Amino acid sequence: MSAVLAGSDFLRAPVLATARPEGFKEWHHFVVHGRGFRLLINFSLTNEVFGAGQVRLAPRVIVIAHDEKWTGAIERFDGRALDVSADLGELTIGGNRMTVLPDGYRVAIDLPDNSIRGELHFASASRPFVVNNQPVGDGRMSWLFVPRLRAEGWLRIGGREHRIEDDLAYHDHNWGRFWWGDDFGWTWGTILPTKPGDPWSMVFLQMTDRSRLRYLSQALYVWHHDEPAAIFRHAAVQTRSDGVLGRAADCTLPPPMRLLLDGEVPGVPERVEITATRAGDRVHAEFRSQSYARLAQPSEVCLDRSTVLCETGGTARASGTINGEDVDFVGTGVFEFLYG
Amino acid sequence: MAERVSSLLRRSVEHLKDEVPDSYRVLVAELGPMVVELDVDGEVFSLRGGDRLQVSDGAADVAGARIVTSRTTILDVLDARVELGEAVESAKVSVRGSLDDVQRAHDSLLAYVHAAIRASSQPGLLSELRAGSP
Repeated sequence: MSAVLAGSDFLRAPVLATARPEGFKEWHHFVVHGRGFRLLINFSLTNEVFGAGQVRLAPRVIVIAHDEKWTGAIERFDGRALDVSADLGELTIGGNRMTVLPDGYRVAIDLPDNSIRGELHFASASRPFVVNNQPVGDGRMSWLFVPRLRAEGWLRIGGREHRIEDDLAYHDHNWGRFWWGDDFGWTWGTILPTKPGDPWSMVFLQMTDRSRLRYLSQALYVWHHDEPAAIFRHAAVQTRSDGVLGRAADCTLPPPMRLLLDGEVPGVPERVEITATRAGDRVHAEFRSQSYARLAQPSEVCLDRSTVLCETGGTARASGTINGEDVDFVGTGVFEFLYG
Repeated sequence: MAERVSSLLRRSVEHLKDEVPDSYRVLVAELGPMVVELDVDGEVFSLRGGDRLQVSDGAADVAGARIVTSRTTILDVLDARVELGEAVESAKVSVRGSLDDVQRAHDSLLAYVHAAIRASSQPGLLSELRAGSP
């Protein structure tokens, strides 16, 4: 699988955002399913309009982690702190760097204002997959994901140092032109088994309208070892959400957004069930939310609204049969519920 | 010596006018002609509505709402260590005025936050506010 990632997972912003800047967004997202803790790292570039119709690329780094509760930071940087390597494989934002390697990623984090530092190496353990031009409101988004990687390294956050030693991880890379607050919502989930030797990995995506009443597209991607084993799309997937998790978000970031998101809305479902059936294959996956952090950003469509991403950690259980092989594992899930 | 809160607020609203003019207009409309008098650690100044926002030093002759608080409490609320409602209930923020004016001041605060989070100049001003905390 050498060079597969370097060939397909490169920064799009220098070409696409320059050619047509309006609404362009791009981010690299990493989730570590650590033993006893979860870690999310996100490097993002957002084209934003300011003043009299001028546009600039705003770089941000997000790091949140959960052991007893979610904590972390979103830091926005000046455009001068941004650098993209000539081969489009390395993104530097201040003291933070993400490098695409032939078969993985190297990530360095340095957010001294929030006492967050770390160095991680992600080795791909599964073939990447690309989904192009997914409708999101009036825009389109493409994404590349790697359902399973193995992570090594360390991260210091909240006064504690976490060692990451051969833990399973997930990566996605998203880019496109769309507007936060437009008529869309999504549920995005990574499910990985607790036993690292278990061969199954799952990624779930459901796009809805803003009110989350109309389902526009959905898919469950199931990988066996490093290869796609089954991809269930649209009507092959049925979902059901139950209840509302009976606890408030552990944190809202950036913290001043707490003034605008007073109270506990939006929350997250207590349980999400996914049933997928196609051509003799059948999978049932259940995600139970345990805790979440709210990441909020201003709506680009409405001046007095916010878009909220609820990053939710929980337990997962999956069962079924694919290509005659049994699927049966317990694991962890990290689901993102986007409210526009 | 730390920059005065009135000076930081003055710079903040001037930046909002240039950087996020649409959000600035929403804020101006929300505040209307009202004057809000603020007392932060004994530094008294006023935010005056109208066609544009003006920050003036000293007490206001007539104010719709009068708010007394501290730089530490402002930072506690912005950093989400304390919710605004808790800060009011525990008297870390004191608000006086008619119910309509207090409601208008609150709605104006939310409009200010919506504008500030859309403006890239504001994190730097927040850092300067932080630099002056005890």
